[in-house]
Amino acid sequence: MEALNALLHGFGIALQPMNLLWGFIGVTLGTFVGVLPGVGPALTVAMLLPLTVKLDPTGALIMFAGIYYGAMFGGSTTTILLNTPGESASIATALEGNKMAKAGRAGPALATSAIGSFVAGTIATVLLTLVAPIVVDLALKFGPAEYFALMVFAFITVAAVLGSSMVRGLTSLFLGLFLGLVGIDSQTGQQRFAFGVPELLDGVDVVVLAVGLFAVGEALYVAAYQSRITETLEKLRGSLMMSAEDWKRSWPAWLRATAIGFPFGTIPAGGAEIPTFLSYATEKKLSKHPEEFGKGAIEGVAGPEAANNAAATGVLVPLLTLGIPTSATAAILLGAFQNYGLQPGPLLFEAQKDLVWGLIASLYVGNIILLILNLPLIGMWVKVLQIPKDLLYAGILVFATLGAYSLHQSWIDLLTLYVFGLLGFAMRRWDIPVGPAVIGLILGPLAETQFRRALSISQGDATVFISHPISATLLAITALLIIAPWLYRRFRPTSS
Amino acid sequence: MARSHAEVALSLGVIALGIGMAGVTATLPSEGGYAGIGPNFIPAVVAGGIILLGIWLSIEVFAGGWRDMPEHTDKFEPMPFVWVSAGLFAHMALIGWAGFIIAGTALFACVARGFGSRRIARDFAIALIMSVAIYLFFVKLLNVNLPAGWLAPVLGGAGI
Repeated sequence: MEALNALLHGFGIALQPMNLLWGFIGVTLGTFVGVLPGVGPALTVAMLLPLTVKLDPTGALIMFAGIYYGAMFGGSTTTILLNTPGESASIATALEGNKMAKAGRAGPALATSAIGSFVAGTIATVLLTLVAPIVVDLALKFGPAEYFALMVFAFITVAAVLGSSMVRGLTSLFLGLFLGLVGIDSQTGQQRFAFGVPELLDGVDVVVLAVGLFAVGEALYVAAYQSRITETLEKLRGSLMMSAEDWKRSWPAWLRATAIGFPFGTIPAGGAEIPTFLSYATEKKLSKHPEEFGKGAIEGVAGPEAANNAAATGVLVPLLTLGIPTSATAAILLGAFQNYGLQPGPLLFEAQKDLVWGLIASLYVGNIILLILNLPLIGMWVKVLQIPKDLLYAGILVFATLGAYSLHQSWIDLLTLYVFGLLGFAMRRWDIPVGPAVIGLILGPLAETQFRRALSISQGDATVFISHPISATLLAITALLIIAPWLYRRFRPTSS
Repeated sequence: MARSHAEVALSLGVIALGIGMAGVTATLPSEGGYAGIGPNFIPAVVAGGIILLGIWLSIEVFAGGWRDMPEHTDKFEPMPFVWVSAGLFAHMALIGWAGFIIAGTALFACVARGFGSRRIARDFAIALIMSVAIYLFFVKLLNVNLPAGWLAPVLGGAGI
């Protein structure tokens, strides 16, 4: 009941006219930028971060919730109409969504995606409201050793278990950890890897890294390899309305996908990629029309889209209650909190009740705004998709550099941005995932703090990490995750 | 074989980064109060990890190339890459003294050229309109300072 009261209080904050306005602006801008081909949710959030520097924290975070949801929805519009998934979580949608668009059924595909996102997002937000206080209670019992073990677990799942190669994922993670060390050590004031450059003493900003890897890296990559390729934009013909049959086939998919997406979002498993594919496979298996899969089956859009949104909401559970980002987008959101001197975690629920519950309430509001705003505006989003590639990337880069420059008004940040752009180019070309680097940058310094704190309390006794049962369990699972694939490859029964 | 050359270079680059990091770490103090570890401990762990990962990547290269690489058939075209880079460097050089609008316009025009545009006048026009709009939005509405530079007399005292 306490949570309900807190939530009602939160609605009082989220529904204040100014905050409602920030929510509207956030959803609209998030969708607008998210629709741009090649711009995923992580980059959308990173590029729009500078817009909020002068807002109060509550208004800014409400706007960010809107941007986050808007970016997700914008991405699916692009995927359905253009068949260029901006991120891995949209690949499953592309399988059926683009086929539907090619068959002249873009309208219902977009509708099931929008309504499914709303249904899944709202149910997931209810679950978030119920689960968050429980996790907070649990987290209050955590000491530094437990936190450190949890962070190591998150590192390994994100870097080593997901993606095509463990070694390349870990390389990306360690690169991020290295960048996280640049600057002044928070505990001793010691300067590390900054070489006396004032811009580096503050540390590497997550916006510069994310924008460098995602925007500059992507622009360099597309320029060098794909500047001559043009994608075909599917026309939006006919009605947006879903038929009775479409509804009948969509809603069970939405619900099943929510049940798959939310739990996956809450555990550190890299966000929405796995649940979208799981949902796609589930729908394919359960469908009464399996022959339509691959030719534009509506369940194949409804499921992954709902799973994507449910997972995106689930990701907010560890982010808000434990301060642990489990996707690149969440890491950037955590950076946004840190810009205001806020550290998400159980203590934030105590110290900043208004802000936290205002934010959670704004998620409900954001889902509704998304629903009422986006289907009517679909014509505008289609226009955005028609921007030719040369102007598109030119515009993205003007905006991307602005974010980096506004940090210190210094060209050094722009040079850093370009270096990260080259890195992003190489990582894209040679299949090194960039997400772990962004997570490493943000989570690395937090993990180091917890590690040293744990050792301070135990007077330098390193067994503290294995004598505490929760921490020992988490570290054991982590070790298993690294060793298991290797054991499997080594000892799997040879079938041939 | 071009691909494996890049893999060799990247793998060795990772090792070199780890060694460089270890070198800097050696200059950091190690006293750490109650914890018994200082600000050099985690850097040493990360440096060690990076060197090991570099070695692992190198081993994969010499054992038949990096594992599970996706097909890559597109051909690298140097000129677009150079144009985009040139735009970013021009922007870097111009923004401090010529101002945001001029730097942004130069960046926009170079990137559009890199992506194959030949309509230079159109690109400059769009670039200018967009830069002015962003400038006014950030400076007048959001109170974020952006340098006015050479255009300061036209823009009034809004920027720095």
